[in-house]
Amino acid sequence: MPTEITIDRKTMPQLALESKIDIIHAQNYSLPNGVPVYYVNAGTQDVIKIEVIFRAGSREQDVPLVAGSTNAMLEEGTKKHTAEEIASLLDYYGSFLETSVQQDYASVTIYTLGGHLDKALPVLEEIINEPSFPQSELEIYLHNNKQRFLVDEQKERVVAAKNFPALLFGDAHPYGHRTRLEEFDGVKKENLEAFHKKYYSAGNCAIIASGRVNDILLNKIGDYFGKGVTNVGAIHESPLQEPHPSSQKINFIPSNKKDSVQSAIRMGRVLFLKNHPDAIPFQILNTIFGGYFGSRLMSNIREDKGYTYGISSSVVFLQHAGYFNIGSEVGSDVCDAAVIEIYKELNRLCVEPVPAAELQLVKNYLRGNFMRSMDGPFALAERFKHIWLHNMDYSYYENYVKALSDITSSQLMEIANKYLQKDSIYELVVGAKGKK
Amino acid sequence: MIDFERFTLANGLKVIVHRDTSTPMACVNILYDVGARDEDSERTGFAHLFEHLMFGGSINIPDYDNALQIAGGENNAFTTNDITNYYLTLPAVNLEVAFWLESDRMLSLAFSEKSLEVQRNVVIEEFKQSYLNQPYGDIWLEIPKLAYKVHPYLWPTIGKNIDHIKYAVMDDVKAFFKKFYCPNNAILCVTGNVTVEQVKTLCEKWFVPIPMGNPPKRNLPVEPPQTQARKLELERDVPASAIYKVYHMGKRVDKSFYAMELLADILTDGNASRLYVELVKNQKLFSEINAFTYESLDPGIFIITGKLLDGVTLEQADEAIQKEMEKITSAEVKKDELEKAKNKTESQHIFAEISILNKAMNLAIFELLGGAENANKEIEKFFSVSEKDMLDESSNIFKESNCSTLYYRSKPKAHAN
Repeated sequence: MPTEITIDRKTMPQLALESKIDIIHAQNYSLPNGVPVYYVNAGTQDVIKIEVIFRAGSREQDVPLVAGSTNAMLEEGTKKHTAEEIASLLDYYGSFLETSVQQDYASVTIYTLGGHLDKALPVLEEIINEPSFPQSELEIYLHNNKQRFLVDEQKERVVAAKNFPALLFGDAHPYGHRTRLEEFDGVKKENLEAFHKKYYSAGNCAIIASGRVNDILLNKIGDYFGKGVTNVGAIHESPLQEPHPSSQKINFIPSNKKDSVQSAIRMGRVLFLKNHPDAIPFQILNTIFGGYFGSRLMSNIREDKGYTYGISSSVVFLQHAGYFNIGSEVGSDVCDAAVIEIYKELNRLCVEPVPAAELQLVKNYLRGNFMRSMDGPFALAERFKHIWLHNMDYSYYENYVKALSDITSSQLMEIANKYLQKDSIYELVVGAKGKK
Repeated sequence: MIDFERFTLANGLKVIVHRDTSTPMACVNILYDVGARDEDSERTGFAHLFEHLMFGGSINIPDYDNALQIAGGENNAFTTNDITNYYLTLPAVNLEVAFWLESDRMLSLAFSEKSLEVQRNVVIEEFKQSYLNQPYGDIWLEIPKLAYKVHPYLWPTIGKNIDHIKYAVMDDVKAFFKKFYCPNNAILCVTGNVTVEQVKTLCEKWFVPIPMGNPPKRNLPVEPPQTQARKLELERDVPASAIYKVYHMGKRVDKSFYAMELLADILTDGNASRLYVELVKNQKLFSEINAFTYESLDPGIFIITGKLLDGVTLEQADEAIQKEMEKITSAEVKKDELEKAKNKTESQHIFAEISILNKAMNLAIFELLGGAENANKEIEKFFSVSEKDMLDESSNIFKESNCSTLYYRSKPKAHAN
């Protein structure tokens, strides 16, 4: 066929010129009781997501597991309804509830069709303001989670993920604490009640709404959360103690399984906060190193050597700390070789400038990725949350997009030398005894 | 509701286009009508290994991922027992790059020995990570061969045996490509900020020149009805015993599929579901319990599985599940119970349609099943299931003679250190 001859299959079609990326900003206003509401009206479907966020993360707890238990138990019974009734009330209208806890904050989220908002909002308000933490439900929750904990202890990946922050921050630090089995026995109903009373209050709360948001929705949020919330009054964030990193850089933990065939690797170091001037360049550097499918770690350790199904690195920004972390599960017999390759790749970032073509690829990839991460109402709300939690504004994203155009190989090499010297890296392997 | 247009190229490639201007992105999904069920029983795991090789360079383009990333794109793929599906998203302005990439690997692969050797290792590590080194992981190797005796669903997608992957050779790879990776064995679905005209022009340029192939007509052995209860017991070093009850059911397009999806929801989805309330909360026998179907295109299975709490025996757990299932087979589910499950399903569908990727995958699979328009009839089909249908289907399916039961016993801990 004539068309066959005319097309050049060897050369990539011309790429479009960089166009401006539109960032839809969240709007905001305050409820009469001072609760800030942020909202993004976007999307084509009549769907709504409302996330109610409290500064009630695990770092606020005095008793281990209390922050997580309080959050999870909100839907397990209120003064008016049992756990089963709460679920039925939401299920019937196809609304979904999600509770989650991180180190710095806790949230309760509802997803609902626009038409069923009136059914969903009262339930959301009730579980936040009037949980009863029934003793019997709490026992089931703790008992079942204890069993899940035991199953997780059999997974090298989970053991490594749990122990790695302890190396960086120390076990006594809220960001480094490792959950222990016996801690499940120390959680009491009174702890939950006290934690709820102190932290799930209007003065400690913000709301992020996204989807088809209109005035009716905003008024309704005001009806339920603008006055009904008890315990008004801002709490002060508890000061964080100093980290106590491990004095030992190289660490090994034997697997809890007798017949382990893979080892989990975690490597990395403490960095800076998200608002640090090096934060954006470091994230670009991290992408090159282990932050996307074509990264150096993947190319070398999976695609060239076949040691693993997957390997990646990431940057974690908490409110009061940041860290860099590499993770993989590799065949037990090639674990040492994989660790050597990881150090080689770290060193390469320090001594060789990133070639121009590779840098351009990563810049283009990250631009596309940034567009993806801003696509749709819920994604936009998520992007907002990630700056808001760090007391930052949209200039962060503007700077990010600018850096994707401007950053140079020599700047990246400087960053690598500053943060990725071998002697600054913590290493943890969880695997079969005798293999290391 | 997803609006779309559909056309077929001269070489048999089916094309579906859905325009969504609320996004700056585009999604390109290519479904190849080949899965683990099409494998030779002595070369299992091959469809999935082949999926990995599709990223090892095509005839004119040495590095697929590299090229796509330059265009700001991201991709992945998955293999099931039924199909192999490749998908990517990228800024819509760079749509042509996706056509260039996908058409080249449909045209021919580079068939590099190095890529085969590495991907064999990668898949072996995947096998270890998902099935061998994971507590309870080997269950997914055991269940298919317990439930199926002749239909190729008897082996999992990863393969029945690591050796089948280890000894795969280049000739197998080439033969597999020739047999299954041709335009008339694929469905291309493009969604996002695109126009039909644009997609037609790009198809004309990049896909039309690819010659038609000759994919085999599928003729798989039919699994005979199970007539006797099957039992298997395994003992493993896990913290809690687990039970799996596996029942044969209908295929994806059957009416019974819709009834069983709703039933799985009624049984174990959420705090108000039957088994959760009764067996986790009231009787405190399980730490978790789940029911689900496999959504398979040929007659599939319905699985109920739970992890037992300390001190509960497998026999006790089994009996408790059977008692609950007797309730399902002896009386209709309550009207509001069913309505609730339907409303939840509807809502999940509406939420899923936010994503151009979900829409693309959905249209492609429904096209394979007989027509993309059926993607828009799903809700209706769920809503047409009555209480009586639920009872009829359940009575038919939840019989011990149609059940395979797996006791996964936790090894006594007496000698643990």
